[in-house]
Amino acid sequence: MKRMISFLFLGLMLLAACSKDPFSPNPVSSNEGPDFPAYFPAPHYQSAENIWQKNRIELGRRLFYDPILSSDSSVSCASCHHASHAFSDFGKALSTGVNGAIGNRNSPALFNLLWSTSFMWDGGINHLEIMPFAPITLATEMNEDMNHILAKLNRHTQYKPLFEKSFGPGEISSKDFFYALAQFMGSLVSANSKYDLFRQGKISFSSDEQKGYQLFQVHCNRCHTEPLFTNQGFANNGLDSVFSDEGRYRITLDPDDKGKFKIPSLRNIGLSYPYMHKGQFNSLQAVLNHYSSSVKQSETLDPQLKGGIPLNELEKNQIIQFLNTLNDSVFIQNSLHQNPF
Amino acid sequence: MKFIKWASLMAIALILILQTACKKTTNEPIPTPAAPGQFAIEFEHKWGMMQTPFSLNTLQVHPMTGDSLTFTTFRYYVSNIKVKKDDGTWWSEPYSYHIVDLANTASLEIELDDVPAGNYTELQYTMGVDSLRNVSGAQDGALSVTEGMFWNWNSGYIMLKAEGTSPDAANNTYLFHLGGFSGSNNIVTVKTTNFNGATMSIASDKTPHVHLVANPARLWHSSPSVSTKNTIHMPGAEAKTMALDFYTNISFDELHQ
Repeated sequence: MKRMISFLFLGLMLLAACSKDPFSPNPVSSNEGPDFPAYFPAPHYQSAENIWQKNRIELGRRLFYDPILSSDSSVSCASCHHASHAFSDFGKALSTGVNGAIGNRNSPALFNLLWSTSFMWDGGINHLEIMPFAPITLATEMNEDMNHILAKLNRHTQYKPLFEKSFGPGEISSKDFFYALAQFMGSLVSANSKYDLFRQGKISFSSDEQKGYQLFQVHCNRCHTEPLFTNQGFANNGLDSVFSDEGRYRITLDPDDKGKFKIPSLRNIGLSYPYMHKGQFNSLQAVLNHYSSSVKQSETLDPQLKGGIPLNELEKNQIIQFLNTLNDSVFIQNSLHQNPF
Repeated sequence: MKFIKWASLMAIALILILQTACKKTTNEPIPTPAAPGQFAIEFEHKWGMMQTPFSLNTLQVHPMTGDSLTFTTFRYYVSNIKVKKDDGTWWSEPYSYHIVDLANTASLEIELDDVPAGNYTELQYTMGVDSLRNVSGAQDGALSVTEGMFWNWNSGYIMLKAEGTSPDAANNTYLFHLGGFSGSNNIVTVKTTNFNGATMSIASDKTPHVHLVANPARLWHSSPSVSTKNTIHMPGAEAKTMALDFYTNISFDELHQ
């Protein structure tokens, strides 16, 4: 009898362990952080100290949408990262900072940052928590000083209690500030695209999407590797033969890195135009035309792109149809990601 | 079934053994440890081979390059301070990160508290910030980005900042931001001193001072005049040469008990 009871108990435990929805679009159901599908790898971002809390995510969201982070209170993170377009600055090749300053690279879309091993087009930032330090302090972006932001937050009647709720009593520190932003940015998990439903066996692709998927796996997947659609690496994809922006080289000073840029994820690609580090291309058609017929030669060009990617019009169209299955409408509509003000 | 019986007996036996093993012997008196003490590390800055006093906003002529240099900023990280007892054990300061800043007299003396009493024969400290903290995201205290010692575009600590004016430099200014924590760019340097054979005794009723001498002129020991190079703002071979020339020369001067 005793044995039967233990078996029953074990069974119940197993049931409980299995009953959790393998993936829900609502992030953070527990201290373990945002949910993600079983076919995603383990997140790169881990913190023993920045324990996942709804309070912290909520505070991070507020900071993300608040222009208080800029020197003249005119620009927030969301000014150049729009939820409706997977947190990209859609339609803008280069973004506008305070005093009308123009940046020198395209604003990236923001999602699945927990898996990013580096940030920015040149990979110069090595950690999710300190990523915001760059746009906040750069003169062409938010042009603000960290000490000044902390002073503003510390005397703010609403922020002070919100920080205390998340981090305990005392002065707001830069660490608290970065922890909150990291939690909001980390909560931006995009894994509800048509591709994901396909991966989960819930739907099937159209025959063009299916063909596009096969072409993608042959020609694109080495760099834009499933399921995150990036291998987190850097590559020279033949945009230039002379580099006005030397990309990764600026960070490493390794000549092999000249003209290399971070390989972006292709998730939500249909929403995050224009494309490339300078926003050179306005459409996916233009991107595929580049890869098939206008790759420029240089020393550091990715070897697989030496002769371009041979694709006819039908194949380009099929790849685009597949790429559009990576758009995540659940992600862009998630109410937890929107402007809280 | 037989197995289960045997296993339970073994388990009970094991528990009994462990319980006895854990029992404290109560009749031995527990020695009261001596109250902990403190010590201080004092950085003195001296210029060039003549060891003349060094301070900010004062004209210094470099003995090798001949440059006229007026420093406006000179600050650097010292981290991971630990001391070795005569019994061979080490005491390490928790979260040991300090900025020595010539503009802040108090920062020239690093105080170490709660050090176990005893006789110490060796001091170890690190010039720069260990690689782990360069890749671990948001930090507190001396490592907070609010100190202005972290690159915003190329993650990593500015481990040494030397800025100033010079009629010999382009635009009459020089700015050396030195760092680098990985591979061939690594400048982080662990230093030790055995107090020239002396022993530092730590007790609650005194504060011994370890005097170290640092010579900012050493930055140009094998680097060119500011007329050739007046700016470094990232890790690399040039930053490494400058930093290591300065770091390696920092030396033990005396121990005030």
